[in-house]
Amino acid sequence: MPSRGWGMMRGRPKTTTIFRSEVMSLVQLYIPSDVARYAVLQLGEIGLVQFRDLNVEVSAFQRSFVNDVRRFDEIERKLRYLHSQLERSGVDVYEFLDDGFAGSSRGPRDIDEMEERINAHDDRVLKLTAAFKNLQLKHLELLENKYVLEEVSSLFSEMAGRGGAPGAQGGRASVATGGAPGLDAAPLLTRTDTSSRRSIGSLDAARAGDTDFDIEAGGVGRDINVGFIAGVIQRERIATLERVLWRSLRGNMFLNYVDIEDPIRDPKSDGPVYKSAFIVFAHGASLRDRATKIAESLGATLYQVDSSAERRQEDLIDTMSRLDDLQQILENNAVARVNELTGVAEQINTWFTVVRKEKAIYHTLNLFNYDANRNCLIAEGWCATSDILAIQSALHVATENAGSNVPTVLQELRTTKEPPTFVRTNRFTDGFQNIVDAYGVPKAGEVNPGLFTCITFPFLFALMFGDLGHGALMTLSAALLCAYEKRLAWLAKSESLRMFYSGRYIVLLMGVFSMFTGLIYNDIFSRAMSFFPSGWAWPADQGGEGVTVEAARLGGVYPIGIDPAWHHASNSLLFTNSYKMKMSIVLGVIHMTLGICLQVPNALHFRKRINIVHVFVPQIIFLCSIFGYLVFAIVLKWSTDWYARDAGGELTHIGPPSLLNMLIYMFLSPGKVSDSEKMFRGQAALQGFLLLTALVCVPWMLLVKPLILRREHQKIVSEGYGRISSHVRVSTEGEGLGGAVIVAEQEEMEEDDFDFADIMINQTIHTIEFCLNSISNTASYLRLWALSLAHAQLSEVLWTMTFLPTLKMSGSLQPVAIMCGFAVWFVLTVGILIGMEGLSAFLHALRLHWVEFNNKFYDGTGVKFEPFSFKAVLDEADEQ
Amino acid sequence: MNEIHFNVDAGYLEGIVRGYRDGLITAPQYLNLTQCETMDDLKLQLATTDYGSFLQNEPSPISTSTLAARCTDALVAEFQYLQQNAAEPISRFLDYITYGYMIDNVVLLITGTLHERDTHDLLEKCHPLGLFDSMPALCVATTVQDLYSTVMVDSPLAGYFRECLSAEDLNELNIEIIRNTLYKAYLEDFYAYCRGLGEPTASIMAEILSFEADRRTVNITINSFGTELSKDDRAKLYPRLGSMYPEAQTRLARVDDMDQVKAILEQYGEYKNMIVGVSLSASAAGSGGGSGVLSLEDRFFGKEVQLNKDSFEQQFHCSVFYSWLRLKEQEIRNVVWIAECISQQQKDKISNYTPIY
Repeated sequence: MPSRGWGMMRGRPKTTTIFRSEVMSLVQLYIPSDVARYAVLQLGEIGLVQFRDLNVEVSAFQRSFVNDVRRFDEIERKLRYLHSQLERSGVDVYEFLDDGFAGSSRGPRDIDEMEERINAHDDRVLKLTAAFKNLQLKHLELLENKYVLEEVSSLFSEMAGRGGAPGAQGGRASVATGGAPGLDAAPLLTRTDTSSRRSIGSLDAARAGDTDFDIEAGGVGRDINVGFIAGVIQRERIATLERVLWRSLRGNMFLNYVDIEDPIRDPKSDGPVYKSAFIVFAHGASLRDRATKIAESLGATLYQVDSSAERRQEDLIDTMSRLDDLQQILENNAVARVNELTGVAEQINTWFTVVRKEKAIYHTLNLFNYDANRNCLIAEGWCATSDILAIQSALHVATENAGSNVPTVLQELRTTKEPPTFVRTNRFTDGFQNIVDAYGVPKAGEVNPGLFTCITFPFLFALMFGDLGHGALMTLSAALLCAYEKRLAWLAKSESLRMFYSGRYIVLLMGVFSMFTGLIYNDIFSRAMSFFPSGWAWPADQGGEGVTVEAARLGGVYPIGIDPAWHHASNSLLFTNSYKMKMSIVLGVIHMTLGICLQVPNALHFRKRINIVHVFVPQIIFLCSIFGYLVFAIVLKWSTDWYARDAGGELTHIGPPSLLNMLIYMFLSPGKVSDSEKMFRGQAALQGFLLLTALVCVPWMLLVKPLILRREHQKIVSEGYGRISSHVRVSTEGEGLGGAVIVAEQEEMEEDDFDFADIMINQTIHTIEFCLNSISNTASYLRLWALSLAHAQLSEVLWTMTFLPTLKMSGSLQPVAIMCGFAVWFVLTVGILIGMEGLSAFLHALRLHWVEFNNKFYDGTGVKFEPFSFKAVLDEADEQ
Repeated sequence: MNEIHFNVDAGYLEGIVRGYRDGLITAPQYLNLTQCETMDDLKLQLATTDYGSFLQNEPSPISTSTLAARCTDALVAEFQYLQQNAAEPISRFLDYITYGYMIDNVVLLITGTLHERDTHDLLEKCHPLGLFDSMPALCVATTVQDLYSTVMVDSPLAGYFRECLSAEDLNELNIEIIRNTLYKAYLEDFYAYCRGLGEPTASIMAEILSFEADRRTVNITINSFGTELSKDDRAKLYPRLGSMYPEAQTRLARVDDMDQVKAILEQYGEYKNMIVGVSLSASAAGSGGGSGVLSLEDRFFGKEVQLNKDSFEQQFHCSVFYSWLRLKEQEIRNVVWIAECISQQQKDKISNYTPIY
């Protein structure tokens, strides 16, 4: 039977609570084409409508407004380019947002204007950047040339310096021989010694006045056979260059290189590049050509370097002066660029926002249909029924903005479609609702567990995290986050802190509740608190090592929580374990009972009486007759004074019974209770009766509902109503609209296939699951005790292992030790006890809600309402 | 036993590469691509694929060559990410994959130099995965001996090059011979290496590489018709592996026309279906003939895609890296083909791509 509950809800008061999701309406909008952009703009600002795609079968580039989308894509690309240029030149982007423009009232003309301005900026920046790059390339060239000149000169002087000094007066021959050891790697020079040395010598003689290295260098350069090439190459390539040259010239070369200390800015990648200047001597023009080719292919830039020292000097001076000029131009250009970009930087944030909004508008318009005359656009979407007024007024504003007098028409459609689920949340409930949504989004109209989670979640957490001190620290940090939430909003941007920030209210409540349970457990950083006089007194005589002393009972009972005297009592664990275990069971059963009870409002809402009578009632009876009775026994045991004596001094009770055994023997030997375990009169009979009721409930749950469903179905079939393949036409309520085309849409309802076997199997599974789960889930709540025990013990261990020893120390070092001990203790407390233990308790609380609580009543098969809003669009763009 | 330790070093990479695989363009997406009217439409459609971020900053009238270049950039970026994160033996395996591109680049450079093209233009055309340090220096070599002793000797291809040294001078024919000899040596070496990696890599790669070898064998045979290549030389170029080695290869070495090739291929189950209905005369050139009719080349591509898809069916082996790269390459070929058809207004041939998923 399909649920029709939705339509029936309409008569009810339209309240906005977190108990159920909002009442939703499917609305249809007839928007005149010239208002369309304004209308969507307004709707995007208020963010209340989720539009349906009416052109599902049309592919993305065939839709009506694809050209507009493309236009804004192009503008966005230009903006991205400008932004990258801003980053490159280190101009700060203004965070400023021009609300007047980015807001809601801009028209197409403003957009055109903006586009023009962006285009103009883009053009200018492009040109300036191109010019800048050009200049930079020239600059780079000159710079490299300068380095090459310098390095070549120093190379020559080095060579000459090594070889020249001893041979200064001995003629050329000694230069040659002296040069050899300095040029180990230069077989060329050593080999050409004999053949070409003489000619060099004769040339040198003619230039007797020159200094040593000049002659050497000049000689090499002027020799027709031995020439050199010089250039600059990336530093990591130099080894390759050398190797390849060596191989291809068969060793007939000599390469020397010097690393250029300063990184050279590469205009292409805009990063620093380390380069080396090199010089290659090779023999003969063809080999030099080859070397040139190789060097160039490996990415080296070659420079003409003259062989004579003076010319080199002149070149160097010339280059330097040109470099200076160019530097000047470069700086001017950079200033112009920065000026241009500063203009952009002021506006770019606004532009980005506007362009993204406009793009979103046209994406949304692409979801709409044109009517037959193409005069207006038809949109369909979901919105909360209570928001319709707000939407209408937004549409009104849009019409005014557009300067049109044709109003936009909004009408509600009746539909059987399942609406998306819209749970209105605020800052506080948002975090809790997220916890629920992570399990499953509530179906429309279903009871939303988020309401209960707001309190039960932090409470169950606190039961596992009970410590006043830890709770206080947690509260403090969360309270700071909440108090300064606007200023700390940036935290939400960091991936690791986002969870903590968005869950700040959860953490706050968890902290507050932990303080409360800490008070009840009487634990503050594992220490006891004695706010009130204890109900026990330790004997004044301390006894001695290894002697057990017994505390004497005083008259009063400690007013709140556990008596501090239990701390450090040797049986304190026995006491707290038993207490916490029972507490866990009691709270767990209450929690689950609440879950089962929530089936009632669900059934009422969806008009399924059968779910109350034949699902809820047997379930609640089953649970109460077994675990409800256990809870009763626990409370009874707590409230009985098992060691009370009557007037004659005799014990009135035999002794405290074991509840575990009681529960086990309730099943094993029904109707009997051994005398030593007896708690009250009539116990045996009561237990037998309860067991019987529980057993009766099982077939009730299993069989009754499917059988009733089958009977109803057969009744319908026998009356001849079966299998109407029903198409429900979506009809509009406003009939008086001339010209408005109603989008006729046929909604196929899911076929009323009644399959008894399916239902039976389903029911069997549900029944078995419920019965088994009632046991396993109850046991599962014992984690409350287990984690609380672990937490208490861990914090105790931390105290005694790190901080306590320093307090017991004596001597002058004690203050230092206390300081260190405290630091260690505090860091570990925050890191392990609050951080890690907190996460683990969080996880277990989450599990108790998802598994133990939600599976009692919650489907969670809804679809989340995602309205079209600029805020979401911009947030998404920011994240990228 | 390999499987137990596989995830220690390669689990992350395998996850990544499987993710990459899931990013491949699917059939409905291809359908959308083929419906595009202009290159802008195509760009819009591609924006939702893995190529989106590589295309988004291109100014709007986009050319086919830019598209191809950006797509290759995407491929290279993904492959390099794998390489950077790889440990032995995956890193070595990935290196092996790049050798194939190196061979192509070397041959491209040599041919270019022979035709006196500009070295820098040539370098830009080289596949970025097949670059090695001293590669640019290839342009100065004029003899095979030179090539080897100058450049190739310390490239990873040195070992493969030794067999080519017999060729004397560089001309078109010799370059083709060098290419095929290199590729043959590469395939054999790669095959042996994969053998050493153990199961299941060995068997999966064996299948893929055998197919590759068979394809080369057939292509060499077909391409050698009407050239100066002697039949003995032709036999020497066949890779010594694959299902056609050795008996079919000895027979293929002697054939003179397409019909004989067809007759030999028909004896192999996996190729029998492939050649049915193929107009073999048109397929010699490789690129597809008329619309609708798939050439032998296309059938080979289809088979290759199938093999590579199959390799994803198993886990804990290196072949996925090879297969993913091949599939991605095929995808780029498809996209470029569609783009060409759109920009040249040849919509009737647009569906001649090889669908992958």
